[in-house]
Amino acid sequence: MKKTGFLYDEAYMLHDTGPYHPETAERLISIYNGIKEAGLLPKLTLLKGKQADMKWIETVHDLSYIRRFEELCLSGKKMLDYPDNQMCMYTYETALLAVGGILNAVNLVMKGDLDNVFCAVRPPGHHAEKNKAMGFCYFNNVAIAAKYIQQACGIKKVMIVDFDVHHGNGTQHIFEQDPTVFYYSIHQHPSFAYPGTGREFEYGTGEGYGFTKNSLALPGWGDEDYKKLIENDLLPAFERFEPEVVITSTGFDAHIDDDMSDIKISTEGFSWIMKKIFDMAEKYAKGRLISVLEGGYSLARLPELARNHVEILLNIKG
Amino acid sequence: MFVSKSMTSNVVTVNKDAGIFEAKDKMATYCIRHLPVIEEDNRLIGIITDRDIRSALPSDILHDYEACEEKEKEKVSNLKVKDIMTINPVTVSPSYTIQDVLLLVLKTKVGAFPVVDEKGKLKGIISVDDLLRAFVNVLGIGEPGTLLCILVEEKLGQMKKIVDAITEENVSFGSILVARYWDEGKRAVFPYLLTQNISPVKKKLQKMGYTLLDPMEWYMDQINKNPKEEGIKRS
Ligand SMILES: [Zn+2]
Repeated sequence: MKKTGFLYDEAYMLHDTGPYHPETAERLISIYNGIKEAGLLPKLTLLKGKQADMKWIETVHDLSYIRRFEELCLSGKKMLDYPDNQMCMYTYETALLAVGGILNAVNLVMKGDLDNVFCAVRPPGHHAEKNKAMGFCYFNNVAIAAKYIQQACGIKKVMIVDFDVHHGNGTQHIFEQDPTVFYYSIHQHPSFAYPGTGREFEYGTGEGYGFTKNSLALPGWGDEDYKKLIENDLLPAFERFEPEVVITSTGFDAHIDDDMSDIKISTEGFSWIMKKIFDMAEKYAKGRLISVLEGGYSLARLPELARNHVEILLNIKG
Repeated sequence: MFVSKSMTSNVVTVNKDAGIFEAKDKMATYCIRHLPVIEEDNRLIGIITDRDIRSALPSDILHDYEACEEKEKEKVSNLKVKDIMTINPVTVSPSYTIQDVLLLVLKTKVGAFPVVDEKGKLKGIISVDDLLRAFVNVLGIGEPGTLLCILVEEKLGQMKKIVDAITEENVSFGSILVARYWDEGKRAVFPYLLTQNISPVKKKLQKMGYTLLDPMEWYMDQINKNPKEEGIKRS
């Protein structure tokens, strides 16, 4: 059994998106209950949120953006940049606690106290650009984690695997010129899904050319199509890049019962995907795997998806 | 939607007495395929394209200049722009619209048009690339959003209902395209919505009785390909 951390904090529920928004606190409750009811909590190292040191957020985001977010949020504004980004008074604080919690978890993995970790945080991060909030995201959690791993832990090569059904435009843009961070994303084709980026022909730019890879799924595609894409695109990328640490942008919104997309991945399909990534992390990255929650909106399915996800990280799933 | 707003105003031009290698180098330097040919007073007298140059040069010279015979080289190095340019090319005026130029591209198969004023003076050039940029803008796809396709009866007031329903959900529009649909009397409406939060809108439209087309059935399968009958417009 692996030493697996589980980052979860009731403070992550403070970020209130209003009455008509799918990115709700109930998502985290579903995830927590799924893990708890499967009797997994005693097997996990429970971690809490922590205020992030501003210097790490500044490795990704412009100071002017951070200040703007803070000021608008604290002055009671309900929205940042787009109507998708609904805020309450606690949104900024929650976002800081998410980043800090993740960095703390990363630190424990890098020290060897933990093998891997599942960070069940809100708000999500992969759409956040360096100077703009987008698609329910404010701070780009995985991007900041990657910078932290490189700058605080002396690691060179980080691989980010994003299997949220939407393209992580923010993460791609932050690292597209950077050959030390490989960004792989599998998502619904951008002509049919938000945000409209992550085209097949985007491979990175300048020195980062060849270190971005997008695998596109057409509406209606399911497990078998995803398996093919992952085998043909992701596994060779691991082999070529040989990352020292793996971060996943863990989104469950490609699930067949999740109405945020037209992709039809089954619960077992998600387990297959995560097991592949787990195996790759074992093979290349000494098992160091940081899973960070992004989307996933089916409250009925999140419990089983979270349970399976954690069982794979613990390496106890049959 | 006027050409004057979308054209390139800083045009790279060439003199009619320039050698064709000079023209070739200019195209390479500026990564362009069309050079308007002008007189000293900026009056347009022709246009030369990379294709004109390629067809004027024997293929072995294009391939390996150094290895060619001197006689061959001399012959082509004497070739001037005026010898191979298209005189009286199709031009447009700055007050043409983007739509005019789009239709003109389909009609003439020309890839770029010099823009001239009423005195025949060169004001700019507008190319297919400029048109494409304008249409990326019209589609709204430079902004993050999600595209839907709604099947509606072709009768008055349908668009209002759809726009109202979406607006009630507090969702803003990147664009709306309306296209003819295979079935007589039906239209396919494509709202590009600037949100990730698309399922409430979908559910609402379905509840109102609208059919949302399966994304795999959009576009070419359903919409008439004959350009004369293609009624794509922005509403
Ligand atoms: Zn998503």
